[in-house]
Amino acid sequence: MARISIDDDVRRNDAIEKASGLARYASDYFFPDMLYARMLRSKAPRGKIRKIQTPVLPYGYYFISAKDIPENGRNALHMISEDWRCFADGDVRYVGETIGLFVGPERSVLESLERNTYVEIEEEEPAISIDDAINVKGGPILEKDDVFCQLYCQKGRDMDEVFGEADKIIEETFETGFQEHVHLETNGAVITKEGEKYVLYISCQCPFYVRKSISIVIGAKDEDIVVRQSTTGGAFGGKEHFPDVLAGPLLVAEYVIGKPIKLIFDRREDMLYSVKRHPSKIWYKSAIKDGKLTGVKGKIYYNAGAYLSSSYVVLQRGVFHANGVYDIPSTYLEGFGMATNTFPSCAFRGFGAPQTLFAIEMHLTHIARRIGVDPVEFKRSMFLKKGSETVTNGHIVENVVLGSMLDDIATASDYWRKSREYGYGSGRGIGMSFYNHGGAFTGNGEQAIIKAHARLKKTGERVTIEVGSTEMGQGFQTTLRKIAAAVLEIPMENVDYPNPDTSVVPDSGPTAASRSTMIVGRLIERCAVEMKERWGEGDFSVEKEYEHPDGHPWDQSTFRGDAYLGYGWGACCVELEVDKRTNEVKVVGIWSSHDIGKAIDEKIVHGQINGGIIQSLGYASMEKMENKNGHFRQESMSDYVIPTSMDFPKQEYFLEDNPYEWGPFGAKGMGELVFNGADAAYVDALERALGVETFKIPLPSEDIEEALRKNGR
Amino acid sequence: MDEVKCFIPKSLDEALRIRKEFHAKPLAGGSDLMVSYYKGIGIAPVFPFPVMIISNLSDELGTIRKEDDGVHIGALSTPNEIASSMVVPYPVRKAASLMGAPSLRNTATIGGNIGNASPKGDLPQPLILLDAEVVLRSVDGERRMKVDDFILGSKKTALADDEIITGIVIPEVKATHYFYHKIGMRRANAISKLSLSALFDVEDGVVVDFRASSGAAGPKVRRSRDAEEILIGLKLDEVSGKTGEFLSAWNSILSPHAMPEYRRASTRRMLLGFIEEVASGALPGNYE
Ligand SMILES: Cc1cc2nc3c(=O)[nH]c(=O)nc-3n(C[C@H](O)[C@H](O)[C@H](O)COP(=O)(O)OP(=O)(O)OC[C@H]3O[C@@H](n4cnc5c(N)ncnc54)[C@H](O)[C@@H]3O)c2cc1C
Repeated sequence: MARISIDDDVRRNDAIEKASGLARYASDYFFPDMLYARMLRSKAPRGKIRKIQTPVLPYGYYFISAKDIPENGRNALHMISEDWRCFADGDVRYVGETIGLFVGPERSVLESLERNTYVEIEEEEPAISIDDAINVKGGPILEKDDVFCQLYCQKGRDMDEVFGEADKIIEETFETGFQEHVHLETNGAVITKEGEKYVLYISCQCPFYVRKSISIVIGAKDEDIVVRQSTTGGAFGGKEHFPDVLAGPLLVAEYVIGKPIKLIFDRREDMLYSVKRHPSKIWYKSAIKDGKLTGVKGKIYYNAGAYLSSSYVVLQRGVFHANGVYDIPSTYLEGFGMATNTFPSCAFRGFGAPQTLFAIEMHLTHIARRIGVDPVEFKRSMFLKKGSETVTNGHIVENVVLGSMLDDIATASDYWRKSREYGYGSGRGIGMSFYNHGGAFTGNGEQAIIKAHARLKKTGERVTIEVGSTEMGQGFQTTLRKIAAAVLEIPMENVDYPNPDTSVVPDSGPTAASRSTMIVGRLIERCAVEMKERWGEGDFSVEKEYEHPDGHPWDQSTFRGDAYLGYGWGACCVELEVDKRTNEVKVVGIWSSHDIGKAIDEKIVHGQINGGIIQSLGYASMEKMENKNGHFRQESMSDYVIPTSMDFPKQEYFLEDNPYEWGPFGAKGMGELVFNGADAAYVDALERALGVETFKIPLPSEDIEEALRKNGR
Repeated sequence: MDEVKCFIPKSLDEALRIRKEFHAKPLAGGSDLMVSYYKGIGIAPVFPFPVMIISNLSDELGTIRKEDDGVHIGALSTPNEIASSMVVPYPVRKAASLMGAPSLRNTATIGGNIGNASPKGDLPQPLILLDAEVVLRSVDGERRMKVDDFILGSKKTALADDEIITGIVIPEVKATHYFYHKIGMRRANAISKLSLSALFDVEDGVVVDFRASSGAAGPKVRRSRDAEEILIGLKLDEVSGKTGEFLSAWNSILSPHAMPEYRRASTRRMLLGFIEEVASGALPGNYE
């Protein structure tokens, strides 16, 4: 067994286990006397519950609902605030809201109990779309209106003056749709008791979130609940807060019944009754003077659904990324998180940034075309640089190398020639987009909210990583072991990193926000440095607490200062051809360049780039999730389609070496970055091929037909 | 708990007897039946009828061969087998090759595709273009009928409750140019939004035969012999002049309800493209 250095090519530690079927997912856990659970959900988007009539329950079967929450408990899941109820009580606010849980030994019996339960709901008019919510359709969902949260930020001069001086003003509205995570493993959890403690095996990103969120439901202390992450088959943000919605009702059931209980969603349930990416409506008005963009005003609306969950934070990220990667002299950006009666929207790779980044990219592309400049040339002239002021009046603290990233992909793709030759409307198009992603929690969240801890434990020659961060397919167990082993100069095989158990590991914060390598990786690097110095001391542990780098002022009450500790940067180029008979789009080339500081493991990074870009292209092209009267219309993997390996070609990728001062080995966040921009490159290329402008995604063939028809083609 | 009566016959004769006595529904690849009666994880599907698993009968029902009256495709032939058999005419081969993904192409069967009679099913459409017949067997004997007549509508067939589909016969067709195109929501494992087949037989610059059929366009595959007649008999250089007439005749057979604008327009543009290509002297061959 060889010592490892950080640039070695290694095999993922979970590769064989997962490929061979040895890995144990939530549904693989069995306990003696284990019962199963099945949710009874609301079929109406909004209304008063008049009656719930279950069939007579056979012996050994239970129906658990809000009435079973003990007196010292609260009917709330504590995500960021406590608004999402564990069980609907008195009224329902979205289709799919948990009303109760059937529990018992046979799943077929549970299915029939659920099917034969009569829930009488006095329906009220729902608000489904952002426009419905703006118009307060059906009366206010909240106290006085449907605005869950709002914020604004302002940079530069007074906007009236800027628009007054402009010689051209361009105004556009963009819309993006729901997106479903389609993680390989559906949501699932098993709860049991060990002595007085409640123990959950759960597919999740954030074991400590689950614990905090549900303990209040039965009035327990956090320590009374032990969360053990079961090997998790994909997440993409869909398992950041949503597992709480399974765990809360399960905990109440366990409190009442006291036997092991398993709840596994099937694919249809996971599609219809889980969180989605926030649909958005984004309005920009831009001032142009002497061919230069002088100011942008924006109004950003996100559909948050029926409960707030993470939407305020998602909205903040959306607003803070709404200027793209550009230094626009004056901006005034407002964001609104709208309450509706759709399934709550929550975290999804990019966390609010992809929507605004898509909109600003398309807006600038359209402006460039209308003033007769190549969009890439136009955008390059405005790239943020080190020291540039951000929309939150903070500053970019790192070297921005977008220019050379652009050059790399322009050369590889032969962009300049093709851009000229293909023109506009020829059936062929090439497009480019630029994007970034602020690493880790917004503002001073890492310091003020999380205060992450991480621990390394030495036992003989072996070292165990003890963190709350989770592997969910992104490769973090391999990345973190590699960091520890490389610092300690020991073989990777000597480093263990079991799935976290909240009763064993310290809380290192959620596995979200592209923060794991950058923040937790750094903590483990620091632990390892100390452990290496003390290696001869026998068996011991080293634990470190997060230290905030100096020079990042932030005021959370006014949203002013450095919104992020640093950014990952990206540039993507897409080339495609459109079949003019059928509007089928064939992507023929994908080139990208990313600045992620440093790739800890290039194979894993490559996997993230490949997947993130394909996921973004799916978002732009085929992933259509419609909601009618509160019901999602797509309910299976054959009507909600995600790309297969047949849909997009092999990608060419570049990585920029630009070490980040506070990251392990110079690494910064990248998991979300790689999702943030391919959509706009695709639509840019598509618009060029078709010769028309478009204003919404996704754009399947039918919608392309419609766009063409609107333009008289 | 509900019980499902399930038979596993070892021979076609046994299967036919079971079919006669219990009217057990054949289950071939199960890729439609198991999906239709899926109820959830850990819950066995409950069929409200007896079933018989016929996948063991591939010796009798799984061969593809050319005979005097045309190409015989056994009912248990899989899309992969059909796609790789060079005796099968191009549009059927191509359609089979674009079904599902590799695993499905080794599981599904042509008998199931026709027996299921889904408007989205991919094989009936090119089979109907080629005037293929379905062979039906019962203990009392065998009968044949056009696939087009066998499929009565969405999920409805003329299968009698003692019959089994034993195969398909595609009569000898003469064609110089074939066209097949499937539009799904993506490039693999996608249910058809639309599919179209067409063929030309051109001899000495004259259109001896022309056919077109359109799938996923309504409850049934659409063909119009009247519309086809418009082009048959024309010299190639006369075709362009008649294309408009053909397209409007064709358009009138498509149900506007089942055929939203995008599908209607794409069908039209694909037909137009293929016809113009052939009219302008395209080489014989297969077109997409
Ligand atoms: C993931 C997936 C992808 C798919 N993709 C496609 C696709 O791209 N294109 C497409 O057309 N379909 C597709 N399908 C649908 C399905 O696979 C096809 O319709 C297939 O041909 C059905 O064949 P089977 O043998 O599996 O049918 P089964 O499910 O076994 O049977 C279907 C029906 O036919 C009857 N039947 C079967 N065999 C006989 C027989 N010999 N005699 C009388 N009746 C019989 C059965 O009783 C039943 O009613 C897909 C299905 C899945 C699950």
